[in-house]
Amino acid sequence: MSHGKEAEKKATGPGSTAGPAKKEYKRDVIIETTAKAMVPLILLFALYVMVGTEATGGGFQGGTILAAGYVLYVTAFGTVKGRERMPESWNTFFKSFGLYLYCGAGFLAIIFSLGAAQFLNYSAVWPLARIVGIAVTRGYLLAFMVSVGIGTTVMAAFVSQFFDLAWKDEDEEKEKEKSEVVE
Amino acid sequence: MKSLSLAGLVLVLFLAGIFVYVVEDVPAFGDAKSPANRYIALFSIDAAGMVESLDAGVVPAEIKSRTEAMGFNRENYFPTLEEGNYVIARNEEDEGWDILIHEGEIFFTEPLKYYHVKEAEGKLTIYRYNWPVRVMEMTEEETGTMNAVTSGLADYRGYDTMFEETVIFSGAVCVVLLLRKRGRL
Repeated sequence: MSHGKEAEKKATGPGSTAGPAKKEYKRDVIIETTAKAMVPLILLFALYVMVGTEATGGGFQGGTILAAGYVLYVTAFGTVKGRERMPESWNTFFKSFGLYLYCGAGFLAIIFSLGAAQFLNYSAVWPLARIVGIAVTRGYLLAFMVSVGIGTTVMAAFVSQFFDLAWKDEDEEKEKEKSEVVE
Repeated sequence: MKSLSLAGLVLVLFLAGIFVYVVEDVPAFGDAKSPANRYIALFSIDAAGMVESLDAGVVPAEIKSRTEAMGFNRENYFPTLEEGNYVIARNEEDEGWDILIHEGEIFFTEPLKYYHVKEAEGKLTIYRYNWPVRVMEMTEEETGTMNAVTSGLADYRGYDTMFEETVIFSGAVCVVLLLRKRGRL
C-alpha cells in the first residue's frame, strides 16, 4: 500500500520537475494487487487446458493462456522484475524444448520399434504398452508429451515476442531522452 | 504506365477465360466418382442370393469386383476384399452388415471397419465409412482419449501439428532476429 503513494509523490512532487531525469517505472496498487490475485488462477487454468485430453482446448490454447498470465505479471511489475522471474536463457530453452519434446515422442516410437518407419506412431512404444495397453499409451503420450510440448513452445514464443516489442519501445525512449539532453 | 495497366487487363481477361473454361469441365453434381458419393453411398445391386452369402460370412464376387472398379484397389493402396482378409459382422443398430478388413498394420492387428452393406426393398446398398465418422467411433478404442478433436489433432494428424509448431517456433526466431539488438541475450 505504501509504495504506491510514494510513487505517486515521486511522479507529482516537486522533486521530479528537474528536467528529464531518470524515468522510473510507475507502480500502481490496484494493478499490482489484481495481478497478484489473478496470475496464479490464470496459470492454473492454463495447466487445466494444456495437460490432459478430456478437457477443452489443447496445447496451443493452453500455451497462449500461460503466456497471457506471464504478460499480465510483466505489465503490472515491469520488464526488469518480470525478467527476473523467467530469465531470457530459460525462455530460449523452453522455445526449443517444446519442439524437442514433440519430436521426442516421435523418436521414442522409432527407438522402440527398432528403427522401423514408425515416426509418431505412439503405439510402438511397447514398454508402456505392455503395462497399460496400446490405446492408453497413445493417450498418455498425447496428454503428457505432445500437448505439453506444444504449450511450452507457444508460451515461450509469445513471451519472447512480447519482450522484444517492450524492449524496442524502451530503447527508443532512451534514445529520445539522450537526444533531448544533447540539444 | 499505361501499357502496364493494359497488360494487366489482358492478363485478367485471360485468367477469367481460363477459369470459365475450367468450370465448364467440372463434373456435374451427382458424379459417381466425386468424394461425396465415393465415401458415403457407393452403389446398390440386386439382393438375389447375396443375403445368405453375407450371413455365412462371404462377400459376393460382384461386390468385390465393383468396389475394386470404383478405385478401392491395390493400385490406390486400399486393402481389398481377399478371402480370409475380412470379417463380416452383423450390425444390429444400423440393421446391416459391417465388413471389417485386416489392414496389415504391425501394431493394430484387429480388423477395421471399411464397408457397410444395407438391405432395402430387395436391393443391397454398399456404403464406405468416411473418415470423420470412423474417427469419432473409434477414437476411444484406439487412442484412449474421449475427445475426438484431440486425437484427430495430435494423433491421426500428428505430422500436421508437429510442423505447425515448427512454424510457430521459426516465427518466434525470426522476430528475435529482426527486433532484438545484439547483447540483449
